[in-house]
Amino acid sequence: MPSLAEVGQLVVNGVMAGTILAVPAIGLTAIYAVLRFPNFALASHATIGAFAGYVANAKLGLPLLPSVAMAFVVAGGVGVVSDETVLKRFRPAGYVTTAIASIALTIALENVLRFIFGNELRGYDLPIQRDFRIGAIRVGPQQLDNLAIAGVAMAALFGFLAFTRTGKAMRAVADNPMLAAIKGIDADTIARVVNFVGMGLAGLGGMLIGLDTTIDPLTGFRSILSVFAAAVVGGLGSIPGALVGALTVGVGEELCLLFLSPDYRSAVGFVAILLVLTLRPRGILGQRAF
Amino acid sequence: MTNGDVAANDARTTAHPLLVVEQVVAGYSAADEVLKGIDLRVETGEIVAILGPNGAGKSTLVKTLAGLIAPSRGSILLDGRPIAGRAPREISRAGVAYVPQEQNIFPTMSVRENLEMGGFLDPRNSARRIEQAFTRFPMLARRRRVQARALSGGERQVLAMAMALMVDPTLLLLDEPSAGLSPIAAQRLFDDIVAIHRGGVSIAMVEQNAHEALTIADRAYILVDGRNHRDGAAAALAADPDIRRVFLGG
Repeated sequence: MPSLAEVGQLVVNGVMAGTILAVPAIGLTAIYAVLRFPNFALASHATIGAFAGYVANAKLGLPLLPSVAMAFVVAGGVGVVSDETVLKRFRPAGYVTTAIASIALTIALENVLRFIFGNELRGYDLPIQRDFRIGAIRVGPQQLDNLAIAGVAMAALFGFLAFTRTGKAMRAVADNPMLAAIKGIDADTIARVVNFVGMGLAGLGGMLIGLDTTIDPLTGFRSILSVFAAAVVGGLGSIPGALVGALTVGVGEELCLLFLSPDYRSAVGFVAILLVLTLRPRGILGQRAF
Repeated sequence: MTNGDVAANDARTTAHPLLVVEQVVAGYSAADEVLKGIDLRVETGEIVAILGPNGAGKSTLVKTLAGLIAPSRGSILLDGRPIAGRAPREISRAGVAYVPQEQNIFPTMSVRENLEMGGFLDPRNSARRIEQAFTRFPMLARRRRVQARALSGGERQVLAMAMALMVDPTLLLLDEPSAGLSPIAAQRLFDDIVAIHRGGVSIAMVEQNAHEALTIADRAYILVDGRNHRDGAAAALAADPDIRRVFLGG
């Protein structure tokens, strides 16, 4: 029988992991809301962000925050270019074709990274700090930093969508693309914005995942199932849904350690997708986009 | 009521009519031509009703005017300038505001945000025109923070028209504004349309409610199977025994 402290520790870890997971999940769901296809190339963009942050931090010696900003900007920029040059051409063929093309794209980009950086594991250059203890529960300072960065990124996105003209136009296209076109909102511009923001969040999330452990060309690919599960559980296309879904999947993955070997952790994502699609196909929060 | 406005506008309209549609052929594909050569004219200051049975091409006609469908042949002149085949955005900039029959709001955005998106092409005047819309339609002011999907059918139509007015159009295209509304809500909506027209906006409207449409319109066109069937002064058409029998139920 697991102790209460053990369960508490896993829940805390799950919330931390879930909040980080929420960042790329929100990116995936935002792109889905506007462009109406699941962009699996998110995996490689998360890795690209992780490596961009690594170059900034370990090679150029920048501190954490500018490195995180670099992860966002580089992944977002690559996201715009890769959509413009590759995925955009597939969109008229329908969402299944585009989604499959995005898988091919992610494998190609992953191999570009492998070509440049090789396969070995790399770590960020961060000071080692002692964990905090609150009662029986341990929390790493790095985890708290990650939590704060993820929180700020999500708050910034919320502000962007709620208060800026471009953010509102993005929601308008997600809501009713035909009417948005009639009102003069340029769909191509909005597609670029959502790719920059969505893939930027993927890159940021990739770096946050890497900060906890190490990175290699498969960093994003290993977490894409959890990211996808988070978005589906919350309701694909719903931004608050992605947050709720990410916390659910994050806590679920940690709590499963009570019963299962860590090897089976990724099964949680599969089971979550299976349950949601069977019982509540539109996800916990349904189609509520914002 | 409307005749006076037309007379007052005569001096301006002698140069060229606001909208001239000539021999327009259009449809959803080359093999499927819904419009088979339509002529239509809207003078400045008029309400023009577009009537006809289901499948006559009424909605296709306004979609073509709004730029959602490019005509394969024929010409469309707005204020003497050709607009056929232009993008909806450009046609909207030129002063034509189109209200689709369905899905004419952004459901998860607030009433106020919907109005902002209505004025997307003219952001500088947005705040002022939103206040004007709130004065003209107090219901929208009361419900400004409500998500648009929570509005009733009649309220949605009002919001959709208010969104179209956000760019201060010279011509308003309405596609079956009263479809699906209760008789009372429909009557209220027709009152709103007349009020908008009095504010100086010319209107071309498709309507299935032919009786009401002919009551508020100056002139009307009746389309059958993608072609002009009849046109003329609304009062004359409303009094015509053939029209009464076919379109007005006796």
